[in-house]
Amino acid sequence: MNFRFIPLLTAALLASATAFVDAASIPRRPEKLHFPPLSFEPPRAADYRVQLKSGPVAYVISDRELPLVNLVILVRVGDYLVPEGKEGLAGLTGWLLTKGGSQSKTAEELEERLAYLAAQLNSSIGDTQGSVTLNLLSKDLDEGMAILREILSAPRFQEDKLALRKQQVFQSLKERNDSSASIESRERSFLAYGEDFFVNRHVTAASLESITRADLVAFHRDWFHPSNFIVAVNGDFDREKMIAKLEQLFASWPFEGKTAPAVPANPKMAAPGAYLVDKDVNQGRVSILLPGIKRDDPDYIPSQVMNHILGGGGFTSRIMNRVRSDEGLAYSAGTSLPGGVYYPGTFTGYFQTKSRTVAYATSIVLEEMKRIASEPVSIGELDTAKRSFIDTFPRAFSTKTQVAAALAQEEFTGRYKTDPDWFKNYRSRFEAVTQADVLRVAKRLLQPGQVRILVVGQKAEILKGHPDHPVTLQSLAGGKLTDLPLRDPLTMKPIVKQ
Amino acid sequence: MRLLMVERRGDPSISGAWVAHVGSSNERPGITGTAHLFEHMMFKGTPTIGTKDYKKDLQIIAEQERIRQEMRKEEALMRAQWRKGLIDDPSKLENKTPRWRELNKQFQELIRQQREILVKNEFDRIYTSQGASGMNAFTSQDMTAYFITVPANKLELWMWMESERLLHPVFREFYAERDVVYEERRLRTESTPLGKFAEQFASMVWQAHPYHWPVIGWPSDVASISKEQADEFYATYYAPQNITAILVGDFNADQAYAMAEKYFGRIPRGSREAPEVITLEPPQEAEKRMYAEADTNPQVDIVWHSVAFQHKDSYPLQVLAQVLNGRTGRLYKGLVLKRQVATSAQAGQDSSKWAGLFEIEAEVREGHSPEELEKAIYEEIEQLKAKEVPPEELQKVKNNFAAAEYRKLANNTAIMFQLIHYDGLGDWREINEGAAKYQAVTAADIQRVARKYLTRENRAVAIYTRKESAKQEKDNK
Repeated sequence: MNFRFIPLLTAALLASATAFVDAASIPRRPEKLHFPPLSFEPPRAADYRVQLKSGPVAYVISDRELPLVNLVILVRVGDYLVPEGKEGLAGLTGWLLTKGGSQSKTAEELEERLAYLAAQLNSSIGDTQGSVTLNLLSKDLDEGMAILREILSAPRFQEDKLALRKQQVFQSLKERNDSSASIESRERSFLAYGEDFFVNRHVTAASLESITRADLVAFHRDWFHPSNFIVAVNGDFDREKMIAKLEQLFASWPFEGKTAPAVPANPKMAAPGAYLVDKDVNQGRVSILLPGIKRDDPDYIPSQVMNHILGGGGFTSRIMNRVRSDEGLAYSAGTSLPGGVYYPGTFTGYFQTKSRTVAYATSIVLEEMKRIASEPVSIGELDTAKRSFIDTFPRAFSTKTQVAAALAQEEFTGRYKTDPDWFKNYRSRFEAVTQADVLRVAKRLLQPGQVRILVVGQKAEILKGHPDHPVTLQSLAGGKLTDLPLRDPLTMKPIVKQ
Repeated sequence: MRLLMVERRGDPSISGAWVAHVGSSNERPGITGTAHLFEHMMFKGTPTIGTKDYKKDLQIIAEQERIRQEMRKEEALMRAQWRKGLIDDPSKLENKTPRWRELNKQFQELIRQQREILVKNEFDRIYTSQGASGMNAFTSQDMTAYFITVPANKLELWMWMESERLLHPVFREFYAERDVVYEERRLRTESTPLGKFAEQFASMVWQAHPYHWPVIGWPSDVASISKEQADEFYATYYAPQNITAILVGDFNADQAYAMAEKYFGRIPRGSREAPEVITLEPPQEAEKRMYAEADTNPQVDIVWHSVAFQHKDSYPLQVLAQVLNGRTGRLYKGLVLKRQVATSAQAGQDSSKWAGLFEIEAEVREGHSPEELEKAIYEEIEQLKAKEVPPEELQKVKNNFAAAEYRKLANNTAIMFQLIHYDGLGDWREINEGAAKYQAVTAADIQRVARKYLTRENRAVAIYTRKESAKQEKDNK
């Protein structure tokens, strides 16, 4: 294989404190600096979008910088489509699609060939979306596309690879209670969306055991059909030729698929109160939960500004300033408020602190939540948050891979249809947010008395609190404290202590 | 000061960084954790950033220092009590002397006064309000790096901010920040299933070399570092001759160079050169072993002392690691597929600045013992010693090294991190020159380094099994 050296760099040695350096013109404060204007226009779908005759919509971006091609196929499939009792089927199908062989090649032959070509072919299926990605040298494109066609239309799902993967997954289940972070994230999801919501249907030893190759084949044939695909491709190719190759990739599909139903949108949050999982670690992990928002909610944009000021903006945020910088109570502290695509997301305040200061740090976060919902934020805070959203916006499109992926996601999640100018209007919508908007959404979303506080850590120490800060976890949650038992890692049923 | 620049169009941003050639290996017992503490302190501002009243700020800092000096005397007394067994842990609140508590009250009052004139996290706020993103820093055994991405029109902002904090940093909130570091230590080391054990294992691997202590420092040291020690550390290691700045993105190199001269040229050369790390790890004379019971599936970690960055054997060792890695690599084929004693396994050559390690770690498959897996790993290695890697297999690995040369250039930030890494280890040119060295590796080279380094007396082994209490908990239900 040939490779070229890329002359990359200019290296220079800077003089130190030389007399002739023109330092006098350096201002005392950075506000006095003047910057040239920066013009940036977000990518327009129309420039790259192709409706393939063979079914999928594709976003095709030619970019000759490096001799690589990156191809992503998004698939309408996910855990929500898995039949009851077969939890884990989506994950196994996603894993084995590219690792279990194809029509003409055994798994071993396929992996050897891809490795020899230094090609990266991967697949996975998550909650509401599957993806198959191929990244390879452009000289190998035709061979790669031929493999991709076989993988997508006629995967082998080799029995021995399925058995191996099932064993690996089974063993990984046993680590479910090992780290406090994974316990926290699992229980947070149970509290936020309810036991019955599809994101909380976990793979168990029994469901894993029941999954057969026939299940994988049927699941694949139901959903892996071109009408369920969205394509993003960028790199070293001629656009028209790539479009022809894509037509070929999806032409005359050997089977009919189903149309994916809508993603369920009925999560149910647990009752307000404090929830405590006892785990023997010297730092408590805390999540403060409230119902969140969907990304197409009219309040979505002001809610993002509010969240940035409260806890989403790293070191500029109020919670980081108080919990970390003022009090030294945590290394990481903040809030998140992602806009849900299919159902409302969750507001989460989070931090990790030593057991004895769990209650005190929680009280600070709650205080800041109340404050932002009762008094207007300052003009300075508002401006910092807005500038951050507006001026970092180009970062979402810093590579052609990101551009293709962003446009394909818009298509996949439906916003391309409902709000085609989302990217075009993004910055002006943030620009328009006022102090009153921030206060209004904070009042709407951050209702005191409604919080669900999840704590994972040493129960006895945490409940003792700190001698200098007489506040208790019980008092913060309106006196309601629920012990959450650990779950059996193989059944996900709560472990009842005898 | 050195400046590295990569002009790259198509993304209207600039990733900027500077790397100080100082890490935990430049510390000594008693001040471990200092390099990392600095990484935190460099965000606290300057005379004009971070405070409303610099004069008063300085007075408070001086007064805080005076009280801390008194508190350190008390801390020495508490350590003496601890040595005699009179108290169990000098860091516990209930073991503090009455004098220490009194001083602490005065100290807290000074913190309160300082808070009134602080402008919290102003350094960060300025960048954020100007559209910068990804501001962060890291400390390793060999280097400390500070990085950020700014919009392409804000290069001068980066120059201003970074040169100001190097020219006149103010280490305010020095003592509160140590509490943050303790929480960071709990988060990363003490509260994770393997953190404490990995720390102990790393310490066991290095007998003499300063890689022996953790980057975050021993808890006793982090509590005791004085501002005076910190100032001295800064003067030695943050002098411009010990720093390299890096810019990758959409700018004009001539203009950037001129601007850098203007801003960074203000910083006076340090009066002394940073000392080298002198200690050479003595050859290991006997195998070392550690058995740990933890909240984890059973696993085996093996490390061998190998070689430092740019050592000629580091290239065949890197290639050797890739012969072992991946789903078509020898570890997966041999241990996961064929013998079925592991669920996963990976290898790596870690070439640090002053020394290096070759590592293999693998998770034990149920029904087998860690020792069985360990033995199987050695058998794979013995095959590499006995027989040269066939041409096709070697070519596969080299093809992946070649393709990685393109993939590594995908974006500004990725290029910046590689330059930080290579320059931090001692030579940025590696980004251009490494590729040819990997392609030149022969099967005989691989066999030779396997024989030379992957020996019994040169290794340390950690065996992890599931903690008994955790097991019982499950069995009892």
